[in-house]
Amino acid sequence: MNELHPNALCFGDEFPASGAPCLVHVEGQGMTITFLSDHEGGESRSEFVEFSQLNISAGGLDHNQLVAAWVGPAGQRMLYLKSPELIRAFRHTAPSQLSQPLEQAAEQVRQVRHRHRMVWGLVSGTVLAMVLGLWFGSDLLVELAVDRIPVEWEQKLGESTYREFLAGQSVTKDGPAVSAVTEMTQRLASQVPNNPYRFEVTVVKSDVVNAFALPGGYIVVFTGLMKKADSPDEVAGVLAHELNHVLQRHGLERIIKQLGFVAVVSIALGNPPGLGGIMKQLGIELMTLKFGRAQETEADMTGLQLLYRAKINPDGMITFFQRLAEKDEGRVEWFSTHPMSSARADRLKAQLAEMPKQNIEPFSFEWSKVQGALGSSLGSAP
Amino acid sequence: MKSEILYPGAFPMARVELGSGEQIKAESGAMVACSPTIDIESKMEGGFLGALSRKFLTGEKFFFQTLKATRGAGEVLLAPTVPGEIVVLELDGVNEYMVQKDGFLAGADGITIDSQMQSMSRGLLGGEGFFILKMSGKGMLLLNSFGAVHKIELKPGQEYIVDNSHLVAWSTTTSYNIEKATSGWVASFTSGEGFVCRFRGPGLVYIQSRNPGGFGAWVRQFIPVTE
Ligand SMILES: [Zn+2]
Repeated sequence: MNELHPNALCFGDEFPASGAPCLVHVEGQGMTITFLSDHEGGESRSEFVEFSQLNISAGGLDHNQLVAAWVGPAGQRMLYLKSPELIRAFRHTAPSQLSQPLEQAAEQVRQVRHRHRMVWGLVSGTVLAMVLGLWFGSDLLVELAVDRIPVEWEQKLGESTYREFLAGQSVTKDGPAVSAVTEMTQRLASQVPNNPYRFEVTVVKSDVVNAFALPGGYIVVFTGLMKKADSPDEVAGVLAHELNHVLQRHGLERIIKQLGFVAVVSIALGNPPGLGGIMKQLGIELMTLKFGRAQETEADMTGLQLLYRAKINPDGMITFFQRLAEKDEGRVEWFSTHPMSSARADRLKAQLAEMPKQNIEPFSFEWSKVQGALGSSLGSAP
Repeated sequence: MKSEILYPGAFPMARVELGSGEQIKAESGAMVACSPTIDIESKMEGGFLGALSRKFLTGEKFFFQTLKATRGAGEVLLAPTVPGEIVVLELDGVNEYMVQKDGFLAGADGITIDSQMQSMSRGLLGGEGFFILKMSGKGMLLLNSFGAVHKIELKPGQEYIVDNSHLVAWSTTTSYNIEKATSGWVASFTSGEGFVCRFRGPGLVYIQSRNPGGFGAWVRQFIPVTE
């Protein structure tokens, strides 16, 4: 069947209020309007209107439709055309005084559009200025933006980097080291009020003396770091510090400063082609992320408090940092992102001195056994 | 493609039958259940930027879901988040509707969805935000409302005044002005309900019998304030 494609809506007393779809054809002296039958196989009927009968105006929501009104044998009729080809055909064929109201309306639409553009331009300019302001510094704005990002997005962001990183590493799946690190993390996390994160820790077999936390609660501890620790409290100290980078959303703050709010949102919301590149780039950024001094201090201080609440000896954190810094700072990767300074140690000590004495609860594992299970050194001997 | 509204009233559900190979776009989260022959895929209508702008500017969900009867004919059950009616409109290629951001439930594959920017004044005062959805093309369109849907039929030139927060959808052959209902601009801004749309026919205006914003405010008074 040769189906008719309607290109206009006709209104009138016998038609529904939504208008009757019809096919309009502009000819020499007027227009033919063909109504499609309501039911399949029914006859379509046509009527012809001369240009001289028409009253033309512009109408519709955006005043961009051609409205032709006339009084036919069936009463008042009104035709709404919006197809550009049809309107062009009408302007070509119909007497010019007929399309005059249309030209005026078109001019008006152009003016209104121009005005809208000006207003929107002004608004986008203001928004852009605010974004630039955010870019160049104001931490307050960064914090405001961070607050707007749901934890789930942050998790997506961190998780993909985490999985990609782990794919290339030799991961320790179980054993004493994994249980020990899991126990530490759980004890610390249980002391966080209203914790929205589900922390996930992985032990990676490597002599690298490092540990890091990705946004969303994904934590990596290298066996190299565990080997250097004299007690579990020392490892717990590093974990408490890293956990607080997550809890204070430091990663997100850095990314927003570097990439801007929109980029974070677009990465979190999907991974359309082209974003893969940004994602990769971001993965690198995330792992080599250098936090600001204020963020480090915050993670130190809140980390210390977390250790205290979890009844883990907070001295371990300070002694570990100091001992490693004195002995082999150059070979401890963690210090490349966490430069040790006397001011840093002093701040921690001062903070610790202020806190009342706390009863320490020991861990369920024996540290010597955990270390024994870490195996021999993989790289060059220390 | 055939559709049927089950349990009409406050908690309806739409059943859509899809022939083999047919597909439907649905608001993400609208899918309740479906035959095992249906594949669900999240799609960004209007490309990535379009989807992003819709997310930010209309608050509309970022993705539409595409439900496709890949492995043979089947059916899909769809339901909106809020209690309220579902209406079925048939688009024939010439009639077009503007739909406020929460009104879209699902549409046949032949339906095109555009986000349209409103003028500043309509955006500020109209209550439906700066962007609204424009539905065109051909096929079935499912809209949902908060409360019951009421259809207003306007003859050419006929006018009707609607509180802006009750709007669901309106045909593009209508035109409207935003007016303040109460006297005095200050009263309008502070009461928050002072703005109405004066619609002018011809065309259809679909309104909802409940006001989501008003309902939210009513619920909020029972929620204890925490600092
Ligand atoms: Zn740190």
